[in-house]
Amino acid sequence: MAKRIGVFICHCGENIASKVDVEQLRKYAENLDNVVVSKTHKYICSEGGANEIKETIKKYKLNGLVTASCSPRMHEHTFRKIVKDGGLNPFNLEIANIREQCSWIHDDRKIATTKAKKILRGAVAKAGLLESLVAPKVKVKPGAMVIGGGIAGIQSALDLAEKGHKVYLVEKSPTIGGRMAQLDKTFPTLDCSGCILTPKMKEVSSNPNITLLTYSEVTNIEGSIGNYNVNVKKKARYVDLKACKGCGDCAVACRLHDRIDCEFDMGLGKRSAIYVPFAQAIPPKYTIDKDTCLMFTKGKCGTGPLCVEACPENCIDFKQKDTEVNIEVGVIIVATGYDVLDPSAMNEYSYANCKDVITTLEMERLISSAGPTDGKILKPSNGEEPKSVTFLLCVGSRDETECSWCCRIGCMSALKQAYLLKEKLGDKVEINICYTDIRSFGKGYEEFYRKIRGMNINFFRGRPSEVKDNKENLKIDIFDTTTNKLFEITTDLVVLTPAIVPRDDADVFSRLVRISQSADGFLLEAHPKLRPMDTFTSGIFIAGSCQGPKDVQDSVAHASGAASRAANILSKEEYETEPFISIVNEDLCSGCATCISVCPYDAITLEKQKDDTSIAKVDETLCMGCGACVVACPSGAMQQQGFKDKQILAMIDAYAKED
Amino acid sequence: MSIVDLTSMAESQADVKTEINNRLEKLQNEFSEYCYQCAKCTSGCEAHKLLELEPHSIVALLKRGLIDEMVNSDLIWTCMSCFKCRERCPQKVAPVDIIFALKNMVVARGNQIPGNYSTMLQSVLSIGLLQDIKEVTTNDNKTIKRSDLDLPDISKPEDVAKFQMFLSKIAVEKV
Amino acid sequence: MKKYVFYPGCVMQTEQYAYEMSIREVLPLLDIELVDMKDFSCCSTPLKSVNEMLALGLSARNLALAEKEGLDVFAPCSICHLGLSECKHILDSNPSMKIKVNNFLADENLEYKGTSNIVHTVDLLHDIVKIDKIKKAVNNPLNKIKVATHYGCHLIRPSEIGRPVDSENPQKMETILKAIGAETFDYAEKLDCCGGLLNANLPESALTKTGQKLQSVKENGFDVFVDACPWCHRQFDAKQEQAGKTIAKTLDVPVLYLTQILGVALGIKKEKLGFNLNNSPVDTLKLGGN
Repeated sequence: MAKRIGVFICHCGENIASKVDVEQLRKYAENLDNVVVSKTHKYICSEGGANEIKETIKKYKLNGLVTASCSPRMHEHTFRKIVKDGGLNPFNLEIANIREQCSWIHDDRKIATTKAKKILRGAVAKAGLLESLVAPKVKVKPGAMVIGGGIAGIQSALDLAEKGHKVYLVEKSPTIGGRMAQLDKTFPTLDCSGCILTPKMKEVSSNPNITLLTYSEVTNIEGSIGNYNVNVKKKARYVDLKACKGCGDCAVACRLHDRIDCEFDMGLGKRSAIYVPFAQAIPPKYTIDKDTCLMFTKGKCGTGPLCVEACPENCIDFKQKDTEVNIEVGVIIVATGYDVLDPSAMNEYSYANCKDVITTLEMERLISSAGPTDGKILKPSNGEEPKSVTFLLCVGSRDETECSWCCRIGCMSALKQAYLLKEKLGDKVEINICYTDIRSFGKGYEEFYRKIRGMNINFFRGRPSEVKDNKENLKIDIFDTTTNKLFEITTDLVVLTPAIVPRDDADVFSRLVRISQSADGFLLEAHPKLRPMDTFTSGIFIAGSCQGPKDVQDSVAHASGAASRAANILSKEEYETEPFISIVNEDLCSGCATCISVCPYDAITLEKQKDDTSIAKVDETLCMGCGACVVACPSGAMQQQGFKDKQILAMIDAYAKED
Repeated sequence: MSIVDLTSMAESQADVKTEINNRLEKLQNEFSEYCYQCAKCTSGCEAHKLLELEPHSIVALLKRGLIDEMVNSDLIWTCMSCFKCRERCPQKVAPVDIIFALKNMVVARGNQIPGNYSTMLQSVLSIGLLQDIKEVTTNDNKTIKRSDLDLPDISKPEDVAKFQMFLSKIAVEKV
Repeated sequence: MKKYVFYPGCVMQTEQYAYEMSIREVLPLLDIELVDMKDFSCCSTPLKSVNEMLALGLSARNLALAEKEGLDVFAPCSICHLGLSECKHILDSNPSMKIKVNNFLADENLEYKGTSNIVHTVDLLHDIVKIDKIKKAVNNPLNKIKVATHYGCHLIRPSEIGRPVDSENPQKMETILKAIGAETFDYAEKLDCCGGLLNANLPESALTKTGQKLQSVKENGFDVFVDACPWCHRQFDAKQEQAGKTIAKTLDVPVLYLTQILGVALGIKKEKLGFNLNNSPVDTLKLGGN
């Protein structure tokens, strides 16, 4: 059947029309092969534009459409829908990007218009060879996996469970709770962090729709949207979870009682080799840390492990092994959280060699009544109360030599801690805050900042160059730009607000999950404004600080959003994916299997035929349309729908024509 | 009088600012516009407590194009070139390099160079070294020159005329 | 034997003789051979304030001369070392600047290629000779004398062009000193500037900086102050008395070059190390059995 192509050239307001002569382009298109009608429109993505397209398809009996417009990333979806509503197979559409690749990058109108003509004729040439395609439907497996059990992971899990979906919540450490469990109070309301977090944690453990896998790690993910196959390693705790009542007698008896640095207390406190990270842990069960437990490091524990002797339920089992489970889900939400920059990198602040220079996270543990000092503010060097505490903001943040981004929570954390210190120590303690800018942007934040300004706290606008350790105290020189004077501060305890950074295994992990990282190393969202919880891998979403630094409320909002996005997929029985997958021309295929060796998704298998030959077969649910097999195929039997060799070659021939 | 007082009535010299910025980019790949006035440089400046040098103010004035007054001030000559500002700046702006550029500008305009700089320059021009062989006093009050010690001859430019040619050409070259 | 072109700089050659004497005594014992070259000029780094292009050109000329020997350059003065290193950094990373400078050097039949690396006394001893060799060469260990180290600004900064030691926590001198039997510990003012470059136009302020640092060294209970740059040493040693007067304190701090104290530990006689040229009270020091 002869091709009847319609060309729609979008002005895109001034975005395209200011640099490309759209009328000239329209006339040019009329003379191209197979084009029966050529029009321009101010905004083809608008309601008016859509209607005009649909009418034109009907009126001119078109069987192919070319838009000369913005990038397919913007409106491919929209235009396909318009074409479908106009009665055509939606894959008879070709988009000529004359905006991002033309009008937005050229200043010269003549050059831009000539280039637009080239791009357009290439698109029209391809459109002449487009075929109707059927989008394959994938059966969506029920259930979601949430990786990471901090507040974001918890929120996503609860939201999905509430919608009736089965959720597997996988957490690396022995308990859920994440960073929020380490906080004492949250800003700006000064809610007790544990009090608002633990009910959610309890809900997770008692919700029949949620299967909690703590002390577990994802080791492999296969499949694609609607159909993910995840391998999870459940690390051995060496404690029988069913029998353990969480009494804690084992930890008290442990030979290494209070000798091991406690990660939850950021190294300020101690624990035993058999431990529970904090009192409200979920599950409230003990875990043996095989990196420190003598039974593993030395092969024996004195004359016998004391924990076994002390345990009334007989739940310790050194013979436990890691186990692997395979879980099938339809969608995955990644909520793996963040790390803080180690300020040892900035040696001028004396963090590494001075005990009384600490981070805000460490100060949070001192403030916490469940912390290593029972909530008393004591200098780590000698256990005495400090008479002066100085906060240094932006340590490593907004810094081209460390982290160029703003940590978003530093200002508010410091203000909050200043408040709590004043509450605990009154005017006995002098509090200084050295800031570059105070970013109190959220609801209630500025009001909170005002309150702190009224509390007899010294604010210095400037950034100290160094913290000098004088042995009996610490000296900080700071130039205050509000008074243009240099202040020499003598202080007892220095608190640094460190930069917020991606987890140190973010790059390994992102490759495992097959999602990208942005330039700063955090996980990459599909669009920072409109799709902040999606990733470029459909079916995989991100929630919370793994995408970028956030406070608790933004993490919760982000997580609920991710759950909603994930539920959109789970609520369908079938999900339509794109038809740009590989297909085999069985007449040409010799069964050489070169394609199989290059496929990163294991989507191709060799199928034996009745005459004993073999041909390649593509599983359309696994194929991601990367095209590697097409390139590898020596006979040209493997072709990618929507990007066939003849279609691409036609485009190239059209581009190469003389202007 | 602080540098800020001196420049309160000044007019901007945009072309001079561009010249300085070009030079900074060429030599050290620095861009003064990125400064956000955190004053970390001034907080640690070795010359600040003693001589009131404010590196961050120098950058602020450069950003505003208020350059002439800085060039005419004594303050830029207080910099000790300790490079702490360059080392610690979170935006890779280096006041020390801006100050070098300003000092060079003073010299290029033919204004007076303070202190011993002219003597050192003269010496380099005539013998290729900052100073000639000196007599020193030992701690038992003897005077000793290099030739009294078991050391080889000093190394200095052999063909002085050729060296001076080289010097005079490169000294007038713009960065 | 590892060979280096010896780039002496102006102040050491014409004034700070003890540094050169101790270097020439110590390095052969550690298998380092110094190749003297003629025709070197001032690196002109102290004249950067007058004309940066001049400093760049003269440093390039010196490097081009040294490159002809096909050896790396040993610059014991920290200011020279920074000047030469910064010149190398600029010309290696900016091709048009390299072409511009080479155009001038062509008149003297010289070309800067970037083939010679530059070392200073501290990294030559710590990274090239290495601690083991130094330990083996010690035959007069210092009996736990307390040493305050002074690295000097130009040896440690700016780290982005590469310096011989760390900019915030340099420890190479301490490692060397411990290996020869001394005791070292950090002090708050360790990285403070000597004020040397201010000598050109604000000598009194320079002396104040010098005096303040020595005062804190004294208060911290050190026995001796060790440096590795002629400009710094000139301030702390030759001008110590003046510095003391400027801050109205008696200082009396013995000040030695790193190579002088190292030389004592290697068994070299003090006269050969130029001890009589130090103006600070170095004779009061009990340095090992020698």
